[in-house]
Amino acid sequence: MRAEAQILKGHLDTLLLATLADGPRHGYAVKEALREAGGARFDLPTGTIYPALRRLESAGLLEGTWSVVGGRRRRTYALTAAGRRRLSSDRASWQDFASAVTAILESAPCPAT
Amino acid sequence: MSGDLTSTYLIDLSRRLPAGIIEEIADGLAQACEDHLARGLSERDAAAAAIAEFGDASQLAAEFTRHSPGRRTARIMLGSGPVLGACWGAALIATRAWLWPVPVAARLAYGSALLLVIAALASAAASRHSYRLTRLAAAGGIGLGVLDLTMIAVVLLAAPLVTWLLAIAITASLTRTGLAARLVPRVLAR
Repeated sequence: MRAEAQILKGHLDTLLLATLADGPRHGYAVKEALREAGGARFDLPTGTIYPALRRLESAGLLEGTWSVVGGRRRRTYALTAAGRRRLSSDRASWQDFASAVTAILESAPCPAT
Repeated sequence: MSGDLTSTYLIDLSRRLPAGIIEEIADGLAQACEDHLARGLSERDAAAAAIAEFGDASQLAAEFTRHSPGRRTARIMLGSGPVLGACWGAALIATRAWLWPVPVAARLAYGSALLLVIAALASAAASRHSYRLTRLAAAGGIGLGVLDLTMIAVVLLAAPLVTWLLAIAITASLTRTGLAARLVPRVLAR
């Protein structure tokens, strides 16, 4: 489980960008979208997601805007053009990597027990 | 009761993080509370569960500090140091800059200012828990820009001729000043 959390953390940026592919969301909605799409194993700590969104914004991959919803100020994030490009290249790399790993695992003989 | 819990948490955070981030967290926290209430939790339990999701205030502040634009800016500016230093070093030695009519006091003042700027940037880059300290990167970036432009002005006024080595150093300094002008507003923005 710990190894899985590490792998997830390594792909956090791509996952966050992917949750915004269909349109802008605020921080908590990003967290909920990840949990809904990936189940309990994608239930990342909220305290990890908000700072990462800010980092992606300062790297120019996201754009944050303020609005007022239900009397509360809300910050919503949207992909920038650079963010879309990054997501698309990350997606392609992941698909290549995943197919290579699957090919190796499926061709390897099962270990004797 | 639930309001007390979240208010205490937000007050604790507001001592460590800028207002914009606190507003964003307050909205997320309120959203989390509403979700937990909708799942049937009591107000107090909903608030406690929401706070647990966001985690310990000091850890959350440290995470924001680690990802802050100030820390990133300071690292970029410091990273440019050796390259710019090498460019200017080579150009000034090649043109025998010690013979230029620049008073010793001005040379010492420039050196001291450069050391101060480096110290400010190093503090911002190394900050792990204080978000406030990462904002020193703005002062460092502005300071570096002023020092770069001062050096260019001195060269144009005092150098007998602008060699190609000086031209490279001037271009490098102008590039860094442009980069600082782009990054500093991001450090101050939140």
